[in-house]
Amino acid sequence: MNRMTVLLSFATAFLVACMPDAGCPDRWCGTAVVATAAEADVLLPVATTQDVGYAIGDLIFLKLADVGPEMNTVDPETFEPRLASSWEFEDERTIVFTLDPNAKWHDGVPVTAEDVVFTFDVYRDPVVASASRPRVLEIESVAARGDGAVEFRFDHAYPEMLFDAVYHMRILPSHLLDTVPHADISSSPLGRNPVGNGPYRFVRWDAGQSIELVADPDFHLGRPGIRRIIWRFVGDPNTAVAQMLAGEVDLLQTLSPEAQEQVEARDDLRAVMWTPPIYYLFVQFNMLDADGTSRPHPLFRERAVREAIAMAVDREAVVNAVFPQGVVGRGPMAPVQWVWHGEYEQIPFDTAAARARLAEQGWSDSDGDGLLDRDGQPFSFNLLLPSSSVSRRRAGEIMQAQLRRIGVELTITAIEFNAFRERAAAHRFDTYFGGYGGDPSPTTIAEVWETGAPANHGSYSSAEVDRLIGEARAATDLAAVRAAWYGVVTLINDDVPAIWMYTGSPIAGVSTRFENVSIRSDNFAATLWQWRVPASRLIDRDRITDAQN
Amino acid sequence: MLRFITVRLAHAAAIVFLVATLTFFLLHLAPGDPFTTFSETTLISPEVVEQQRRNFGLDQPLYVQYARYLGNLVQGDLGYSFREHRPAAAAIASRIPATLTLAAAALVIAFGLGILMGAVQAARPGSRTDDALSVAALGLYSMPVFWLGVMFLMLFGVKLGWLPVGGIVDEAIYSYLSPLRRLANRLEHLVLPAMTLGLVGAAVVARYQRAELLDVVHQDFMRTARAKGLSRTAVFVRHGLRNALLPIVTLFGLFFPLLLSGAVLVETVFAWPGMGKLAVDAINGRDYFVVTGIAIVAAAMVVLGNLIADLLYRVVDPRTRGES
Repeated sequence: MNRMTVLLSFATAFLVACMPDAGCPDRWCGTAVVATAAEADVLLPVATTQDVGYAIGDLIFLKLADVGPEMNTVDPETFEPRLASSWEFEDERTIVFTLDPNAKWHDGVPVTAEDVVFTFDVYRDPVVASASRPRVLEIESVAARGDGAVEFRFDHAYPEMLFDAVYHMRILPSHLLDTVPHADISSSPLGRNPVGNGPYRFVRWDAGQSIELVADPDFHLGRPGIRRIIWRFVGDPNTAVAQMLAGEVDLLQTLSPEAQEQVEARDDLRAVMWTPPIYYLFVQFNMLDADGTSRPHPLFRERAVREAIAMAVDREAVVNAVFPQGVVGRGPMAPVQWVWHGEYEQIPFDTAAARARLAEQGWSDSDGDGLLDRDGQPFSFNLLLPSSSVSRRRAGEIMQAQLRRIGVELTITAIEFNAFRERAAAHRFDTYFGGYGGDPSPTTIAEVWETGAPANHGSYSSAEVDRLIGEARAATDLAAVRAAWYGVVTLINDDVPAIWMYTGSPIAGVSTRFENVSIRSDNFAATLWQWRVPASRLIDRDRITDAQN
Repeated sequence: MLRFITVRLAHAAAIVFLVATLTFFLLHLAPGDPFTTFSETTLISPEVVEQQRRNFGLDQPLYVQYARYLGNLVQGDLGYSFREHRPAAAAIASRIPATLTLAAAALVIAFGLGILMGAVQAARPGSRTDDALSVAALGLYSMPVFWLGVMFLMLFGVKLGWLPVGGIVDEAIYSYLSPLRRLANRLEHLVLPAMTLGLVGAAVVARYQRAELLDVVHQDFMRTARAKGLSRTAVFVRHGLRNALLPIVTLFGLFFPLLLSGAVLVETVFAWPGMGKLAVDAINGRDYFVVTGIAIVAAAMVVLGNLIADLLYRVVDPRTRGES
């Protein structure tokens, strides 16, 4: 044994000796170390715009109620109580929530109806510029009924009223924020030192490094299973994986395909998919010329051409190669949305039919160079994608090879994420590899596919689709809403404004120390407070029990 | 001396101003802004984005934003961090200690090891030891610093499990340790990033030191010292090494840019919560004033490092004191 080894052995022994004593009083302990690439921006839910900000914030601040594991947005029976213990539809436009009398802020003050009214005012105020504001605009008013109940009144009746009332707002402490001007709420000190009402209390935030939370023993829905949660901001995804493989991290938010293989090869780790799948990825055709003018696109103005390109792409092969746990897309939706079903007609993979379609449009290989051409112009177009997405890059390359077989040249432009966003928003592309989702409501379909919608980068426009979206918004009963959204999806699919590549959710890496593990696709930490570490699987860091609580 | 310092400080202020201006405009010309870098898969409505731009004055023409920025800057206000929702100065200040700790440890390794390597090589030029150390120094110098970091991390952190895989402390236990054990925990986390940054620097220092020593050992005063009866080792250390250290002082000043640029990569690889990691996050998030603030702080540190090196040089080499 050389001197270096001896020295390091001593150092290791010294550090092991530094660990607190073993033991876990009253069988409540456990420490989860969670690694994420990005750092939270702020822990005030109304101000955050980062996924990790929401994830941590949701352990500190609760909603009135939440969707169940299936994330059904229209069945009130499936919703689960959080700060509200019950609710009832008083009339077709009014929901009254009864607050849980045991719900308290972490400083001991009870959660009251005044907090809910204050929260609505803040979310609704344009000056605050909350990302959730557009999703609460259907709520006409929120009023207190004493301290323990609150009334939500909507400007019209619709099936997702309960969802909109509870899903987008986390209740804020009015007793700590009501003196802060709304314009200053996002920069309030509470954003970096929050006092919440959820299963975990804030302990400390070391900038650039970590956030520590400790379970609230008096949490009104029952004591959380894990006593402490440490969020570590690692930055580089490879370092995060290395930390997980070294046993320093228990939960890694997302795994690359390579990291997933490494994790699955280990007995002490496992890969867990966020469920149900909430994102869909698509290659959208630009209906307008890529030079940013309003001229129709020279290739994709013709539906037959779009259909032929879609037919030439073997999406099953793409999914198997780049995202094996994914599902081939069926339209502008993800499986989490109730509008998803297997009956929508799909464009088959059929290269012969694709060639025939293109021949009907005058495309042929007149010069024998292997590429189709028309009026002297070769059939060539570009695919824009973000260089940061490994799966999209690989899928693009597979598409490139598949299209080459029918004589179509696909070039790929992979650029930095912000540049990708800017070019897509400026409509400067032939096709772009986009992704959308994150919300279980089918109303998000309109955010991409309605005429002039903010994320409709390909300028798809259909008067009939717009009319049906309007119908879906205005309909009051569920059957009419369902029929309208099904119609929207069918019409969009029929127009082929995009190739529906695949749907899915990220895969997380989780230590096998934990049981009762599930990961919800809209917020990977939403159920973390229900995880447990059985006594037989405790390790040293689990046994620290003098955390501040 | 006072005039020298005053002139150099005036130059420093001009450099910092230029860096701030250049960074400001380059960032604003880059695609995206702080409010369009959110998750691709979730819509932030254009109205909300516009409101946020209005709230922070980003809807104003660029020259207005620049004038306002300069006005704030001369009052010591670096601006606001859109990502961290607090003053940019607070965001940067919270990261400076980590970067300085890493830089200081890397400097100690770079100069301590580099001078030692150079001296060992120069003591027996052309020997196997000299050749081996030359190859080692060249090898280290040629390695991309992030690659070296990843290799160290995988070998000593994951494969052998001797040292922690990144971070500045083990947050899960740190708060519950005694002060002495906390220090041990910090040092344990410092080893790999400091070695990564320091070894590359040591390779540079070693090459300089070897060349300088080989020049010095053939000087007349060395022969005189030997003729006076001093031992070979005493002559080499007291007279040779001391004189050969002069150019290394200059190298000290030049090391600051190397350390700061290296810190961006090393801090990212080792999840070290310093200015380098903050810079990467801020650039990706288009956190304008944090990036500009870091550029100002980095420029000031580089300029100050060079000034200190010049002053040190004037102190240790009396021949330069008459130069203005």
